[in-house]
Amino acid sequence: MKDAALPGPTAVESFAQDAREGWLSWVSSVDHKQLGIMYLLGAFVFFLVGGVLALLMRIQLAVPNNHFLSPVMYNQIFTMHGTTMIFLVVVPLLVGMATYMVPLMIGARDMAFPRLNALSFWVQIFGGLMLYFSFATSGINGGAPAVGWFAYAPLTETAYSYGPGVNYWILGLLGIGVGTLTAGINLMATVITMRAPGMHIRRLPLFVWMTLVTAFLIVTVMPILNAGLVMLLADRLLNAHFFRADTGGSAVLWQHVFWAFGHPEVYIMVLPAFGIISEVIPVFSGKPIYGYEVVAASTLAIAFLSMLVWAHHMFAVGLGHAFDIFFALCSMAIAVPTGIKIFNWTATMYQGRVRFTTAMLYAVSFLLMFTIGGLSGIAFAVAPIDWQLTDSYFVVAHFHYVLFGGTAFALFAGVYYWFPKMSGRMLDERWGKIQFWLTFIGFNLTFMIQHVLGMFGMPRRVFTYPPLPGWEAMNMISTVGAFVLAFAVLVLMINIVISLRSGEIAGDNPWDAWTLEWATTSPPPPENFTHVPPVNGRRPLWDLAHPDRTDEMLARAAG
Amino acid sequence: MPDKNKLGVGLFLFSEGWFFATLLIAYAYFHSLPANGPSAANSLNVVHTLIFSICLFASSATIHMAARSFKRGQRAAVSAWLAVTVALGAIFLFGQAREYLGLFAHGVTISTNLFGSTFFTLTGFHGLHVLGGLIALGTLLGVTLDGRLAEVKPSGFESVAMYWHFVDAVWVVIFAVVYLWPLVA
Amino acid sequence: MPGTYSSNAFTLAPASPQAAAISSLFIGTLYFLGAILILVTGLVLYAIVRYRDRPGAPEAKQVFGSMRLEILWTAVPVLSLAVLATFMVRTMIISDPPSAGARPDVRLIAHQWWWEIIYLKSGATAANEIHIPAGKRLLFDFRSADVIHDFWVPALGRKIDVVPGHPNRLWIEADKPGTYLGACAEFCGNEHAWMRIMVIADSPEQFAAWIKQQAAPPAQPVTAEEKLGAKIFRDRICTNCHLRGVGPDLTHLATRRTLAAGAADNTPQNLAAWLHDPNTFKPDSNMPDFKLSDDEVRALVAYLETQK
Repeated sequence: MKDAALPGPTAVESFAQDAREGWLSWVSSVDHKQLGIMYLLGAFVFFLVGGVLALLMRIQLAVPNNHFLSPVMYNQIFTMHGTTMIFLVVVPLLVGMATYMVPLMIGARDMAFPRLNALSFWVQIFGGLMLYFSFATSGINGGAPAVGWFAYAPLTETAYSYGPGVNYWILGLLGIGVGTLTAGINLMATVITMRAPGMHIRRLPLFVWMTLVTAFLIVTVMPILNAGLVMLLADRLLNAHFFRADTGGSAVLWQHVFWAFGHPEVYIMVLPAFGIISEVIPVFSGKPIYGYEVVAASTLAIAFLSMLVWAHHMFAVGLGHAFDIFFALCSMAIAVPTGIKIFNWTATMYQGRVRFTTAMLYAVSFLLMFTIGGLSGIAFAVAPIDWQLTDSYFVVAHFHYVLFGGTAFALFAGVYYWFPKMSGRMLDERWGKIQFWLTFIGFNLTFMIQHVLGMFGMPRRVFTYPPLPGWEAMNMISTVGAFVLAFAVLVLMINIVISLRSGEIAGDNPWDAWTLEWATTSPPPPENFTHVPPVNGRRPLWDLAHPDRTDEMLARAAG
Repeated sequence: MPDKNKLGVGLFLFSEGWFFATLLIAYAYFHSLPANGPSAANSLNVVHTLIFSICLFASSATIHMAARSFKRGQRAAVSAWLAVTVALGAIFLFGQAREYLGLFAHGVTISTNLFGSTFFTLTGFHGLHVLGGLIALGTLLGVTLDGRLAEVKPSGFESVAMYWHFVDAVWVVIFAVVYLWPLVA
Repeated sequence: MPGTYSSNAFTLAPASPQAAAISSLFIGTLYFLGAILILVTGLVLYAIVRYRDRPGAPEAKQVFGSMRLEILWTAVPVLSLAVLATFMVRTMIISDPPSAGARPDVRLIAHQWWWEIIYLKSGATAANEIHIPAGKRLLFDFRSADVIHDFWVPALGRKIDVVPGHPNRLWIEADKPGTYLGACAEFCGNEHAWMRIMVIADSPEQFAAWIKQQAAPPAQPVTAEEKLGAKIFRDRICTNCHLRGVGPDLTHLATRRTLAAGAADNTPQNLAAWLHDPNTFKPDSNMPDFKLSDDEVRALVAYLETQK
């Protein structure tokens, strides 16, 4: 329902105002909406860089025995691709989305600590720049780190990584980590202390709830990574012995510390995406989320269990069957609350009126893509299967299905859903559908075949491979898919640019949605709301529009 | 509804707890293995460390008194208690520095062996946190002496106190794990 | 150029009892997961088709959930996973049998970027190409000389990390004679991609002969060129690495099928190319370019071809 009354300033008018005040005013901004957009833009730039790195890798792997990239170059590129996508793209995109939307969704004026908010963003950008500066270091040992995004010791020790690359990796991540940690603190404090009257915890929009749980995970596990990083830095710069097996240290300790952070980190990368899906599917089905309390509770279960499964990344290390069995059982267990969510999201569509907007197309395909990724994850939870397939292209396929088919698709859904709120204009739906299909086809073409490559014995992180039967064709298919995906990203950029210029004016609530962010102009005024509607349930705008059958009345009638 | 500033600082301290926990686990793991060379048992002087540790523990009491006086608006008392807290914290750092110099003189550094690596990393980061706390306390003291105590928000003062108690609590654990454990093993 | 390989590198084409156990579990699991995928896909597709927005479609029903359904779709996954878990434990025992107390038969030492193999009973040492007697299981003991590597031969069973400071053991066997390919499967630096593995299962007689040959002292050069090659091998300090475990032992190089852990077929031409410039096949590996002259290379190749 587009608001026929006064629209908020359009994107063009806002930008014109900024041009008068100066783009530099954004640099000193502490407004969560501007910072949210900056997070999204910064992360998008890193996404393009990380994507180019991926294309370079896929070109090198298109044919066997290729010489497009030297091994040293390839190894730096795959390290930077992974590190970038995880720390500089997915997490900042989710944090940025939350930074923009959470205060609005809880009826607040800004986040709890606006200046800390700005610090979080800029420190993260600085950490990213420092990481990339490593490419500029010269000399025979110069260049970016070439150790993989989880940087196992002792390969990362000075003896085996002589150049400064790994130091930049450590320092860059420490910087990025400070940014993420402070953002987590800010988000938690915001949700806990700044909700509008009537918005009890049990009435939180699920995106806000899942952001709250994610922020708790961030605050718990980022410091674990920091401890590991400082220990590695001590080894490299001060000659300490933490992870040096030849002098009494333990290479396995690094793995424990890293994965104690690293596994919850992947849930940090997926829970807010679950939150986006939990907003989009109900709105475009025209009915509330099915099983709100169970979906919320399952989020807590996932967060708790996520801290008990880290060593499923270490099944191949040979730590004993008892050890492996414990972590295998916990890993299988975590599939249960995740599956519950899939069923609830699907049930939400039943007996609804499903509108196929681009956002909804992405949300529905999320259900299928994430299920594929989750199922291959269950395969890995079965330790003997992991013993065969970990460190092969099967695991590369698995994590791209959950992180791209899952989180990235959810983010695309979130972009199409909330772009109107942020800019005042609708993204073009025709371009959107083209972009969706290109993404869907490109993504599956790239990664589905990698399951088979892994089963055929191709290890990961190899700069080339021998002409074994089938490997050449499968790699070529994957490379073609990667270029289709790249083209899809171009289409998204085109859509954003033309929509900012001449997209349909959005109005307050173009989707007929129910949460508080739709109760203000698009984009919102600096103070967010001129008037926060009363909150008596989970869908304040539904209650306002249907005073004869509010959620509370409907729930009571259902008994 | 918790105060947002104290909640923020509390969450920060919660995260720092995990940081120290990881370093402690690394220390404890390597300490439990058989090892040669300098170790906690043969290189540390528990009594000396206990003396300056007691100063740190006492400073938790004194900052608590300062917070109480702050609530009552007693400017002079706040200055006094803050000054004593800073002094006790400084004595702790001084004692730690002397301990470090002693160890260096005996050839025990971060690169000597796993004891050196884990000991200096763990106590070093703790010392850095003490230093940070002293800066915060010193700032509060300066503001108070300058007669501008009324401008300090209660949540601000209490946050600094919380931080100081945290630093103290971490030292209780480190002291037990590093200095007392060899005595009972 | 790397040579022809057979396709024995498929996790679903097991060639040992250990690999067969994992393979059956994997196939069963794939059926289970496939069924779930079909179910979820069916439910989702049905929903978006049946309940799509169209003129005349009924109003969306404002329902909030059903505790009974929640219990159903919690209990069924839990029970199915419990069943899967029991199969898992069984498979773990078969595919990775206990080895405590048994004496290892072979020690495999992983280096950046080659494999050192020591047959503990006979003392025979080899590099990169591993021979085992078909139908008999041997206990392998894995150590690393530097960083973490991983031993993976999919047709023969699980992969196992080779971790410095943390020796690992694994029973390895092949049902039938054949060549089984694998690779290092833990990123270990520049040439991780060319740290490939070739396990050749011989008949018992062939294996006995092979071991005898590997344990035999190095062949002596006969012709003048071969003697010159041997002299260069010493004078240009090739022995510094190749007789001290820094580089692969070359005593029986001529019996191996590949060079540089699978980077190239073992032919005199490839050997000459390697000696001219190691970066030809394995860029940035640890072997320096000695800037050998054509004559030196020819002599060395002649000598090394005698090392059977």
